[in-house]
Amino acid sequence: MRNTYLRLLQLVTGALIAVLLGIHIVIMHVDAILGFFGVDAAKPTSWGAMIERASQGIWAGLYIALLVFVLYHAFNGLRNIILELTPSVKTGRIVTWVIIAFGIIAFIGGTYVPVALLVS
Amino acid sequence: MTEDSTKRITFKVQRYDPERGSAPYFQEFIVPASRGMTVLDGLLYIKENLDSSLAFRTSCRMAICGSCGMLINGYPHLACHTQIEELHAATLSIKPLPNLAIIKDLIADLTPLFNNHKSIKPYIIRHDTEELLNPTAEFVQMPQELETFQQFTYCVKCGICVSACPTSASDKLFLSPLTLAQCYRYCADSRDEGEQERLPLVDIDHGVWHCHLAGACSEACPKGLDPALAIQLLKRRLVSRALGLGKKKRPSSVVSPPTETKPKVPFPEFTVKGS
Amino acid sequence: MKQIRPRQNYLGAGGWVWAGKYKLERYLYLLHRITGLGILLFLLIHLCITTIFRIQGQDVWEATIALLRNPWFRFGEYLVVIAFIYHGLNGLRLILQELGFALGRPTPPIYPYKDSLRKKRPWTITMLAVIAILAAVVLFDFIVGGW
Repeated sequence: MRNTYLRLLQLVTGALIAVLLGIHIVIMHVDAILGFFGVDAAKPTSWGAMIERASQGIWAGLYIALLVFVLYHAFNGLRNIILELTPSVKTGRIVTWVIIAFGIIAFIGGTYVPVALLVS
Repeated sequence: MTEDSTKRITFKVQRYDPERGSAPYFQEFIVPASRGMTVLDGLLYIKENLDSSLAFRTSCRMAICGSCGMLINGYPHLACHTQIEELHAATLSIKPLPNLAIIKDLIADLTPLFNNHKSIKPYIIRHDTEELLNPTAEFVQMPQELETFQQFTYCVKCGICVSACPTSASDKLFLSPLTLAQCYRYCADSRDEGEQERLPLVDIDHGVWHCHLAGACSEACPKGLDPALAIQLLKRRLVSRALGLGKKKRPSSVVSPPTETKPKVPFPEFTVKGS
Repeated sequence: MKQIRPRQNYLGAGGWVWAGKYKLERYLYLLHRITGLGILLFLLIHLCITTIFRIQGQDVWEATIALLRNPWFRFGEYLVVIAFIYHGLNGLRLILQELGFALGRPTPPIYPYKDSLRKKRPWTITMLAVIAILAAVVLFDFIVGGW
């Protein structure tokens, strides 16, 4: 049942990413249209806005959760694509371990900065 | 073209001789075709009149045996089921089914397909083996229960779904759409109790979860089987078993012997009365 | 008699792209893969930028942001947003259909055969229309915000 759980988790993280990443993109990019609705987004990529977001726990939490879901979803998808090209079982196992290692490195790299900015 | 008039159609057939070993090549034949002629009729004409060394599989010529699957003008068809007129082309390019090994000319090697099919136990499995070995009566099955899997029983094992599937194109260890659809056909059969044995056989690394709903198998299937639907229903079954949901249904019981015996009808008189 | 080894005839990864004149859903699957890999690539670059350049202080951060205001980078960002919209909405369709919910019941096959994906194609076309509308809305925002 292991593959069923992996795939089910991919579907669940996919749905969650659709929500969280949707929020992220709307805040980052759609500021002109948000302005029509009266929401003041005020240049989200400027230093001031960025530091203000980084010091709030809820934004850091959102970003870290988004990072975990995205890393699982993307690397599991990449593993599926590579496994469809490599026919031998041994190569498949090597590919899985390499991808897990990459995932852990990306997770550590990605969460270090939000946590550092949050506690500073 | 009408039944009287004939048109000269060019058949570009891919040839391959394993004893010579070189790469496959195309050979052209001119075939006089009239209305009602199938591609198989054209190939038989070539074999009888033009080149008797052309090798292809054919048996029933009525789309029930599944022997004559070929790639005709870039799409997999059963040659006996495809009218030359419906292709609307003066040149037909005929190749063996892709994603299957070629033995000779238009003959594809279906052995891996049959091995995959055998591996998912395509037969009714019950715990009461005594009943299976020495049957006393039929199993009960309601029409509604039959409808949940009847569509998937029409498979003729032609291999066209394997040629259409994009996963089968690159993944040599993939259980084909044929295998997965037949696995669902047996798991959904109300007479069967073998779900616990079959589901772990498809939940493997190159099993059912490498299907990504491209839907090409259902589109190309010559019997209207819809293997894509069977595979998605199989995934639903796997997920509900993994999560512990889903009703556990009891398998069909044996038909009980009739309890009330009707009065015997008198044996009719067969002698002619009168003159 | 000599044992004959059958000749391999796999289409390979090229078979994902073209194997014949198939219909819509096969190419939606291919586009889902391409957008997924594209977003993954963008993600790795994005992680590098928001960690390495953010931790070094305000000057480095603002210099990086000014560099990324280049129209080529903005166009790339627009492509990534479109890719996410497509991947997300198609993914929602796949969640429903791959778990067998939105495909209907098995029906006895009567010629001409209509498979379940073809029966649900109007919904798929609606989903594509929603994607197109959202793409136009985001394009409007990018233009208003300045390339």
